[in-house]
Amino acid sequence: MIQLILSLLVGFVLVLSLYFFVRRARPSAEGSAKQLREARQTLDSLQYGLLPSDLTERLFSRADLEYVLSAAPPDVQSLFLTDRKNIALGWVRRVRTAVLALMRFHRGHARLHARLTFSTEMRLALNFSALLMTCRLLQITFYLRGPYAAPGMVRTAAAAAGRVCSISEKSLAFLNVKGVGPLENDAAHHRA
Amino acid sequence: MEILAQVVGYTGLSVEVLILFRSIQRKMFAKYSIFYTYLLTVLGVGLFLQIAYTATPSLYVLLYWPLQFVTMALGCGVIVEMSRHVFAQHVSLDRFVRWVAIATFGAIFLVFAIHVVFLPHWKPAANPAELERNLRIGQAIALMTIVFLTGYYGIEIGKNMKGLILGFGVYVGASIISLTLRLFIGIRFSPIWKQVGPFSYMTALLIWAVALWSYAPAPEVSSEPAEEDYRGLAGRTRQVLGTIQEQLNRTPQR
Repeated sequence: MIQLILSLLVGFVLVLSLYFFVRRARPSAEGSAKQLREARQTLDSLQYGLLPSDLTERLFSRADLEYVLSAAPPDVQSLFLTDRKNIALGWVRRVRTAVLALMRFHRGHARLHARLTFSTEMRLALNFSALLMTCRLLQITFYLRGPYAAPGMVRTAAAAAGRVCSISEKSLAFLNVKGVGPLENDAAHHRA
Repeated sequence: MEILAQVVGYTGLSVEVLILFRSIQRKMFAKYSIFYTYLLTVLGVGLFLQIAYTATPSLYVLLYWPLQFVTMALGCGVIVEMSRHVFAQHVSLDRFVRWVAIATFGAIFLVFAIHVVFLPHWKPAANPAELERNLRIGQAIALMTIVFLTGYYGIEIGKNMKGLILGFGVYVGASIISLTLRLFIGIRFSPIWKQVGPFSYMTALLIWAVALWSYAPAPEVSSEPAEEDYRGLAGRTRQVLGTIQEQLNRTPQR
């Protein structure tokens, strides 16, 4: 019976994969200047737009909550919590989108390498999946328990911003392909 | 039903001749040599079996499965050729698909050889459908690897190869499902099984005829890879990922 199920499963998975294979959209040209620029913008967006300490501190500050709870009527409190929840959800969504874009860029770039190793690719795929899942978990946490369900977010984000900045600087090196000029890393352009 | 099967059979032969004719007319035979050899063999085997069926039915019964295995073995070669064309500009991926194909086909043939050598009561002629199904599963795994890798890495495929993969996939998928059901349901499923094979092959032939009407190679990769090596790229991507992961993991706990 197991053999029957496995054989049928292989047959149906093949047919299903062919369906998606036919429907697949035409991929963009790998390594094109546009794609490189977009990847760099994604990194900049993470670095300067989504993870800086001032933004996350402001976003998840309990001081705002305490002020509203002590000074505002219940309907304003409710409105405040709803707004903050939407902002927090939007923030995670954007981080997730940026990670997905980075993942796409990595795949588009990696396929051109002759010495691509599958164990490394598998590990990276797992890392990307774990990160995307973490984003999903954060989304669920914010959705169910509100934006203040994670009280230490401000300090963590502040520390993270510094580390991400330095690592992003290194990661930007792989975007420095001949013919693509450096972009302005103006934080003001990337504010969330 | 008999007449319909004959119509499908003769139409199939005509489409095979048409595809081969176009390959010579458009000078494509050398470009997809294994595929056209496979098609030529299928055509030859089909004609031979048809003649044998009318002249000496006992010869038809005797030769049906051995000839079927010859075409199936060539089918495995077609998948290797597909990989070579699809990943022509992606050496590592081609190597990986070849490795998967060789491993799966090798494992199936090895199991078959072990059965023949070590199990004296096991007769290949008595279990041909099982062996065919196993080989088709091997082909399906190799095909799915190609389809998955092209999707994962966003590799663009030319019209010829897209049609070859689709046609072959439809035929292999239908064969696996029908052979499995025939093995488990038994003789009651035979009437359906006898129709599924020719119809799915006919569908594959029509897809191939459209896809191989003219030569359409895979689009050229527009840019060269960055100067630095892959390890550097992978290492840095992993580093970025690790840091972001670390931050996000800590965030909800504080």
